Amino acid sequence: MPAGSPSSTRSPFSDTESPAVGVKLENLCKSFGDFVVLKDVSFAVEPSEIFVLMGPSGSGKSVLLKHIVGLETPTSGRVLVDNHDAADPVTREHVRMALVFQAGALFSSLSVYDNLALYLREHRVASESAIREKVERALQILSLDKTGEKFPSELSGGMRKRVAIARALVMEPQLMLYDEPTSELDPVMSATISEIIATLKDEYRVTSIVVSHDRDLALNIADRVGILMDGELIHVGPPSELHTPKDPRIADFLNPKVDLKNPRFKKLAT
Amino acid sequence: MKQINAVLEGFGSTVLLLVRALSYVGTLPRQWHRFIEHCYLIGYTTLPIVAILSFFIGSVLALQAGYSMENFGAKQFIGTLVGLSMARELGPVMVAILLAGRVGSAITAELASMKVYQEVDALETMNIPPARMLVLPRLAAVLVMMPVLAIIGDLVGWYGGALISNYTHTIAIGPEAYFSALRRFTKFTDVMNGLMKAELFGFGIVLVCCSIGLNTRGGPREIGASVTRAVVTSLILILVLDYFVTKILT
Amino acid sequence: MNNAQQTARVGLFFLLGLALIWVAFETLSDGKVFKDRGYTLIAGFESLKELKVGDEVRMAGVRIGSVEQTRLAGRRAEAVLRIDPGVRIASDATGSIVMAGIIGTDYIGIDLGTTTAPMLEPGSEIHTIASLDLNSVMAQIGKLGTKLDDALGGLSDSLKGKDGKPGLFQKIDTLVGENGEKITATVSNLQEVSAKLNRGEGTLGKLINDPKLHDDLLATVGDIKTAAGEAKTFMANAQSIVDEVKSGKGALGMLVYDEATANNVRVSVKNVRDVSDKIARGEGTLGKLINDDSLFTEAKGTLKKADRAIDSLDDNGPINALGIVAKSLF
Repeated sequence: MPAGSPSSTRSPFSDTESPAVGVKLENLCKSFGDFVVLKDVSFAVEPSEIFVLMGPSGSGKSVLLKHIVGLETPTSGRVLVDNHDAADPVTREHVRMALVFQAGALFSSLSVYDNLALYLREHRVASESAIREKVERALQILSLDKTGEKFPSELSGGMRKRVAIARALVMEPQLMLYDEPTSELDPVMSATISEIIATLKDEYRVTSIVVSHDRDLALNIADRVGILMDGELIHVGPPSELHTPKDPRIADFLNPKVDLKNPRFKKLAT
Repeated sequence: MKQINAVLEGFGSTVLLLVRALSYVGTLPRQWHRFIEHCYLIGYTTLPIVAILSFFIGSVLALQAGYSMENFGAKQFIGTLVGLSMARELGPVMVAILLAGRVGSAITAELASMKVYQEVDALETMNIPPARMLVLPRLAAVLVMMPVLAIIGDLVGWYGGALISNYTHTIAIGPEAYFSALRRFTKFTDVMNGLMKAELFGFGIVLVCCSIGLNTRGGPREIGASVTRAVVTSLILILVLDYFVTKILT
Repeated sequence: MNNAQQTARVGLFFLLGLALIWVAFETLSDGKVFKDRGYTLIAGFESLKELKVGDEVRMAGVRIGSVEQTRLAGRRAEAVLRIDPGVRIASDATGSIVMAGIIGTDYIGIDLGTTTAPMLEPGSEIHTIASLDLNSVMAQIGKLGTKLDDALGGLSDSLKGKDGKPGLFQKIDTLVGENGEKITATVSNLQEVSAKLNRGEGTLGKLINDPKLHDDLLATVGDIKTAAGEAKTFMANAQSIVDEVKSGKGALGMLVYDEATANNVRVSVKNVRDVSDKIARGEGTLGKLINDDSLFTEAKGTLKKADRAIDSLDDNGPINALGIVAKSLF
């Protein structure tokens, strides 16, 4: 464990430290037209914590993530990032946030190297030689040393996810948001990604919010787990509580029994 | 009602995009390489098709003018007709239509796919405004390149007309007579007038195409729909703008 | 493609555009960048009419400058002319606004002036005259048109008749209509006459057609010959008388021997001989009648012409026939 105050984020590239940030959701509601996606969601993420948000597909996890990063504005309620309203574009000036998109969202017209360097170049935070150093370090951290000159279309799914994480890492974020980082990956790659998230948190104390329905990831690396179902947060607690869940909905979600005699889709139909 | 609302929404977001892009004008020197890249795509690569089209527009104008003006013995005014109509109207409008088809569609397709594949969202989370990185260099490039394309279109059209007038035996107006007729009534202000129009058209096309591209929602299917919408909107914009600009400039 | 190459191409392209704009500018505005070349003159007019800035100034039809500015100066309009350097204008040269054509623009035309007059200084005023503009010409043409209209109206009235009075054509019509029978009769008479001529009826016809005429003529000549023979006998008798006179028989003898009387007789005889000689040579009317065959030829020609006229008469109707008759006769 590197030295430094537990309440601050350490840069992976230098010894500079910046304060870790917390996230707070207050009565967040969101609806698209008549369709309600989030119903009165409230929780808080502590600085330097890994918070895993679980839930079935279509439960509103990704939308919630977009609210935190400011890509969506709440219908009512608010999201506070380090006590700044996330819907306000100025918040991004105060807090460095990085979102790792489910599909990577790499710039397809740029090489991997340029993808990583874009943020640094656009914000003129470093000279070209310093940028090169940072980008190569980030690629190294994610074992992507030889992919710098490749284009996103030439990469495999797992590599694309890692490039996306590397791109987020280069920003030296105080808050990392992962949208389904292990989906569509084989089990080994999923474990690798989980290890990376945990390492980043351990070494650089980045506040991380991970949206996933990967049970292994949640149980292994999460400090706390929230479970979102149909837009409602039905459970928040440490992963240990999930080994013996009281709520039958959670139990069914985490340990679904494959019942061939009485299949679910037939139950739903009736 | 819903459609009117959509049109107004599109109009509003376009104006907003313009304002946002203009607020980043100061960052233009930093984006020099992007500006050059778009200049290359908008100007240089569009040149051949502009030259070909303008040549034939000029030729056809001369042919048609020769055919119809012969009836009242005004053949010697072919140069005047081709010169003025290329400079004031057909040059700018044709170049603008080509730009809408060739460049506008490409811009919309690129931005729409970036939007659909969340690259635009990624930019926003990186605190890089799309208006600054994606829109501003294109607007600047079209402003610089459009007059160049338009003047090439004008001159190539004039020479196309001259060539046809000389070598079509039913017209048989030599280059000297053609250009003296052209020069007699075509003033440099007419050419400037046309270049100004072209400038406005080009700017409008790129802005509209950027706006429609960035406002794409949904899946990859929407990319195609957005491109169609962008080209159609651009063409309407050209003709509507043409009417008002012509009114104002004359 | 690398960045530098791209930048170079864009730069080249942009320069090309600038160059072409310059070319267009040079071509169309005759290089007005050198705005201060040449010198200015002021031309005052009552009205500048269609004259605009940029219109040409021509001297004797050659372009020597352009209109730089148009302005109002008190009670008149002034055009500031920029004259090309090196062109000198005589102070008695006169400027006027000339139209270059109905759809063309105007220009200021300046005549050459005289060689003895001093040259105009830059900035000075040139003598001008007002010229007719298209509108006044058009107005005059319009008036002319009205007059022409009136005149044609009058003519038309006289032809057509006005206020119930018959016009010329009506009159002719009436004339022809009323006299139609007579005209037809005349024409048919004419036909009949010529037919008769052809058939040799009547005196003229006989003259033309009858071979007897020839015989008569020959007979006449024969008679004349007989007459000449008788004249010979007369002469012989005269000889015997002379002989008798010589011998001095009778009173006549004495008369003859009177010398004067004898001379007279000699002259008479000589005259008779002269007459007969002339007749033989075809001189004199009678001689011609006897010796010349042209009369006959002419008579024949006239007959032919009449024949032709009648043929045409049949073909072309009376009116044309008149013309043809006239033509063939004269």
